[in-house]
Amino acid sequence: MKRRRFIQALAATPAAPALLAQQAQPSQQAPQAPPPAEASLRYTPPDAAAEAVLHFFTAQQFATLRKLSDLLMPPVNGAPGALDAKAPEFLDFLLSQSPAERQQLYRNGLDGLNAQARKRFSKLFADFDAAQAETLLAPLRDPWTYDAPSDPVAAFLRALKDDVRRATMNSREWSLAAAAGRTRGGGGGLYWLPID
Amino acid sequence: MADPKFDVLIIGSGASGGMAAYTLTKKGAKCLMLDAGPPIDFERQRVNKSTHELPFRGFGKPGKLSHVFQATEFNANQWVDETQVPYTHDPKEPYNWVRVRMIGGKSLFWARMSFRLSDYEFRAKDHDGYGDNWPISYRDLAPYYDQVEPIFRVRGRRDGLMQLPDGVFIEDTSGESECNKRFIAAARERGIPNTKMRTSMGRGQFASSFNLLLPDALATGNLTIVPNAVVREITVDKNTGLANGVNFLERQSHREMHASARVVVVGASCLESTRLLLNSGIANSSGVLGHYLHDQFYITQSVQAVIPEARDGKAPSGFIGGGGYMPRFRNLKTKEKNFLRGYALDWSTGGSPDAKYFPLYGEALQKALESCRGAGFNCTVMGEVLPRAESEVRINKAVTDAWGIPVLHVQTRYTSNEFNMAKDAVATLEELCHACGWEVLARHDQMFPPGYSIHELGTCRMGDNPKTSVLNKWNQSWDVKNLFVVDGSSFVSGGSQNPTMTMLALSMRASDYMAEQMRKGELEA
Repeated sequence: MKRRRFIQALAATPAAPALLAQQAQPSQQAPQAPPPAEASLRYTPPDAAAEAVLHFFTAQQFATLRKLSDLLMPPVNGAPGALDAKAPEFLDFLLSQSPAERQQLYRNGLDGLNAQARKRFSKLFADFDAAQAETLLAPLRDPWTYDAPSDPVAAFLRALKDDVRRATMNSREWSLAAAAGRTRGGGGGLYWLPID
Repeated sequence: MADPKFDVLIIGSGASGGMAAYTLTKKGAKCLMLDAGPPIDFERQRVNKSTHELPFRGFGKPGKLSHVFQATEFNANQWVDETQVPYTHDPKEPYNWVRVRMIGGKSLFWARMSFRLSDYEFRAKDHDGYGDNWPISYRDLAPYYDQVEPIFRVRGRRDGLMQLPDGVFIEDTSGESECNKRFIAAARERGIPNTKMRTSMGRGQFASSFNLLLPDALATGNLTIVPNAVVREITVDKNTGLANGVNFLERQSHREMHASARVVVVGASCLESTRLLLNSGIANSSGVLGHYLHDQFYITQSVQAVIPEARDGKAPSGFIGGGGYMPRFRNLKTKEKNFLRGYALDWSTGGSPDAKYFPLYGEALQKALESCRGAGFNCTVMGEVLPRAESEVRINKAVTDAWGIPVLHVQTRYTSNEFNMAKDAVATLEELCHACGWEVLARHDQMFPPGYSIHELGTCRMGDNPKTSVLNKWNQSWDVKNLFVVDGSSFVSGGSQNPTMTMLALSMRASDYMAEQMRKGELEA
């Protein structure tokens, strides 16, 4: 945790890069001893130091996605929720890279959900209270079937349920919570480097 | 042409090529092995990473390896890149061709399920009238299974099942959890047998050609391995009609080279072997080359159930966990109305059902998942696919791979026999779960596209008749007597058993024969 706070402090301090740059300058004094052999540099993932620039969803779609993400994967018993894990921001990136069919599923689903929201409650889904949201999320209470639902909103909700959960549980925030004993998972594995 | 330096040229270093090298080098044959892939140093090629460190948080790069459902963002680089070595198929008839190009081939990554075929497969036509018998029977191959299993250190339990012959096993004496006893008893009441999974234990991390076959072959001093050699064609002496070597391209430089030998053994994996023969324009006087592609259909997570007594962590020690294997039980002594042959079930208890199966979300979903953690039942169905002449691969000259070699077009689909079998399997599983008092969360009978099992078989089949088969009973080309094909392409039918042990046994048997024929000078002009 100390290391995380240090990194967060660096990210929040505009002068930090300059300070680090000064530290990297060769000293005018007597040469410093080389670092011990076991010393290694520490790096910070971009999510811990910067905000994602969104490309894929419109502002209205993204607001809907955030609301949905929070409903589908809220923080529970110390485990981070989807918003803590920046799952919506990650999904914006993932969808921007995805095949057209997947992109259409998301766009149609978010727009369709908002159309239903306007029709039923005369407001956007992002402005719903919990009871209103539950009404439109009824397809998620249908029993699982192998084939995705034919209704585009229902199909989108089913895909989103999986994606939000995965984006949350595979996040850095989840991994840190797991390391602190607040949840399970957050592991990793052996990564194959590209073969030359 | 100068006298070749090598007695045998082996194409492919996986299970079948590795076994050919293992067998032939021990008999004194000087062998050259070519493989399209590089040697892999597993310590340097893999690094530990957290999932969140991956660029796509474990989702994988969208669109990459779209046919390889086994690919994850962790292992994406271990599979053959489809943009580098493409293949084609009708978009309405997808085929998942899953490939590895490394020294050791797919034997580096297989699931290690190690079964023998029986005469229900070798003499299948005799049993039910469909298709063709193999040109060999179980009795012909049994002595080779006996030799292969100790090399791969197969653990299993001897149960005396006709449809799943026992082997030379490291005896599995493990017990059964209470849950499993209940499931096995319910199955037994319905005439469904069960055995322990039969698994190659191997040595160290691997049960692979890479560590079990190639080191011994190299130790004889008779094996030369050349990695990164992408074989383009087998060359034939116009005067004798015999194979005299291959032309290959060095993987990275694309430099073209020719290697020569007295005998050529093809073990490049089922479809790559057939692709090579088709591109070489040899061994196809029958017109059968490329036909009778089959595999096993797979339905993973076919039935998801929860075992009530194990909910909320209440299961006492020894109550749940472990699994088993139910070999084919249909169409042995009785006859099903709407399908031929049969399927096997690979089942387990003690897992945790996936979130998608719960009709819940939010905190309620989290609570349900926690309640069912470790209380699940799951099963994979593995069904026999009938070999059909119309299931075929052919060369698509309009498309070439990164080395300019024409690619394969794959044309196959599952039919009513497989679909009816799948329905029967899932209905049977559901019935067993209900009989055990378990709550079925979800069920489905939708199989993955052909190819998913990575058990592609046929297309260069053995037979008794040179007009209806490519190879004779020794895996030897009818047309080119010093050409042998020793991998899964030689299968006549595949049953529902994982095929690796049979490939290994066939390759060993063919190599024994080959060595004897070479000694007699029978493979020369």
